[in-house]
Amino acid sequence: MNDHTDDPHDTPVGPFPTAIGPSPFPPLDDPTPADAILGDEILGSGLTVAPADPSSDWNQAADAHDLSVSHEAQRANPLAALGRFAFPPAPHLDDEGVAARDRRWTSRTIVFATLFLLIFNAVSIQNWSRQQVPGWVTSTVQQLADVWSAQIAQLGADQPRQGMRELYHAAQAQRFPGQAPSESPSQAAP
Amino acid sequence: MLFPTLAFGVFFLFVYVVSWSLDRENERRKLFLLLASWFFYAQWDWRFVGLLIGSAVLNWGVAALIARSQTRDPEDADRKARGRRKWLVGLGVAANLLILGVFKYYGFFVEQVVDLIARFGWERDLPLLQIVLPVGISFFTFQGISYLVDVYRRKTPPAKSLLDVMLLMSFFPHLVAGPIVRASDLLPQFDRAPRLTRAMATHGLLLIAWGLFKKTVIASELSVRLVDPVFFDPSAYGTLDLIAAVYGYAVQIYCDFSAYSDMAIGIAALLGYSFPRNFDQPYRASSMQSFWRRWHISLSSWLRDYLYVPLGGGRKGLISSCINVMITMLLGGLWHGAAWTFVAWGALHGGAQVVERLGRAALGDGKGPPAWVGVLITFHVVCLGWILFRAETFGMAMAVLQGLGRFQPAALVTPFLTVLIVGGLAMHWLPPRAVEGMAERLKTAPSLTLGVLIGICILLVEAVRPDGVAPFIYSQF
Repeated sequence: MNDHTDDPHDTPVGPFPTAIGPSPFPPLDDPTPADAILGDEILGSGLTVAPADPSSDWNQAADAHDLSVSHEAQRANPLAALGRFAFPPAPHLDDEGVAARDRRWTSRTIVFATLFLLIFNAVSIQNWSRQQVPGWVTSTVQQLADVWSAQIAQLGADQPRQGMRELYHAAQAQRFPGQAPSESPSQAAP
Repeated sequence: MLFPTLAFGVFFLFVYVVSWSLDRENERRKLFLLLASWFFYAQWDWRFVGLLIGSAVLNWGVAALIARSQTRDPEDADRKARGRRKWLVGLGVAANLLILGVFKYYGFFVEQVVDLIARFGWERDLPLLQIVLPVGISFFTFQGISYLVDVYRRKTPPAKSLLDVMLLMSFFPHLVAGPIVRASDLLPQFDRAPRLTRAMATHGLLLIAWGLFKKTVIASELSVRLVDPVFFDPSAYGTLDLIAAVYGYAVQIYCDFSAYSDMAIGIAALLGYSFPRNFDQPYRASSMQSFWRRWHISLSSWLRDYLYVPLGGGRKGLISSCINVMITMLLGGLWHGAAWTFVAWGALHGGAQVVERLGRAALGDGKGPPAWVGVLITFHVVCLGWILFRAETFGMAMAVLQGLGRFQPAALVTPFLTVLIVGGLAMHWLPPRAVEGMAERLKTAPSLTLGVLIGICILLVEAVRPDGVAPFIYSQF
């Protein structure tokens, strides 16, 4: 048994091959695309590496001088263009995208304002529901508003509104020197 | 359903969500807005929704006939076709005025006729009908007329569909009390799906908050605590209260009407549509002409374009222009209400403008009094007009004027009301377009910041507002 042979077709019998054929893969600096060279013929033989034709974009009218002959351009790797960045930046938003973003921003603003008022101005819903014509809907809303206002009041969230209202009534009650006080006292209702 | 109510707030939130969910389907979006506008209008009286529809169909049909005739005769060469178009626009305008006349002026004219024939000794019982005045009829009728005339003058192309005309006349932000948005302003916006920018949204939200403050705090407070009691019984009050009531009414009507316009513009902005401005610090005006360029701009420009200019404007000399101004202002006064006090109000404004024109012709431009004197004179002429505007009868107006010489301690004027009056006047000397400037700064803020800021503004208004809210003054016109 000869471990050393110059015949490349002579497959060694041992578990570890001692003769390594040429790599079916192109060298790292070869710009030829891998899919162009991994044909059946080459894979089948595993020996000869022939550069494949470019993809079929043959144009009878094209002039060969139109093709790029720059070796550097062929070697440009799109990933190399990233430079120090991890991934390319997203394209700019078009008008539609900007409009959708502004709409979302507006909706969020309205939602935040509504939530703020639901918490700090809960008594307004209560007052409004009491002014409506009695009915199934208004009585339901009134009961819900009563419960909500009571819960919010326990947290003290009604205090800012109450404080402002008291200040306002105090300002209303002010009189010029020598002027008679108001006949109708300011409403202390919340 | 008034703007500064919780019911309207809920309605608007629903309209906002649904309309923007349909933003890729412009026709369906417009249809939804039309249905929402009819629902809004039906809250006053559902029967008048039919009137709104009928008026829109009338204007759409006549404009379509005019446009068809114009298409066949693009150069206006066919004299017969031109005459037919003139007849069509005349009939359309007359039909609009007939609707307005029946609902708004029928009772007034019958009363005048009865009084007149009674003076000649003929007592006749003419049929007096108690016709309910449809809310906003003066506004949507004027919109219809301007659409017809603009199509006739080829200033605006006819609407692409009946839906557009219906929405133009029924769009709920301007339906009840203006501003009078012309077809050339709104129809092009209906052609494409609207966009909402941060600037529009911030501007709209600030205008709504500012309008709420002006209406529910300043206007309501002055109305309830000062103006209404004084004008109910002027003989019970002295000089200080009466002067304060007159100044107070000047502030009240500005804050009331400009608040409605601000909120209308803001609501439309949040739905993606842009309305023209209706007020521009009117009490800063140094002449009556300048006042009408700053007060209810959509009406004054309407009267200029569809009444003053067709009458001849200033093209036929000074005297003719003075007569035309007088006619325009008299009819403008009558537009506000079917009462002689409104006609007298219009006559005062027309007369003051005539005096200004004659003065300018005699002295030359720029040789009048200094600007601050002009502001003071103009403001007091306007206040004199407001007495006629607010008083229900001439007797009441005269009682207010006579009471100005009756010295007695102030009973109603308080330091707080004084601050409201002074503040209401001082806001005219804020930087022009202050709200727009603030919106420009705030549009870059995070949504949480702006949302809380708007919430605080509304909370402040809600904390101090009286229970309930009075209807807007101009909604009765």
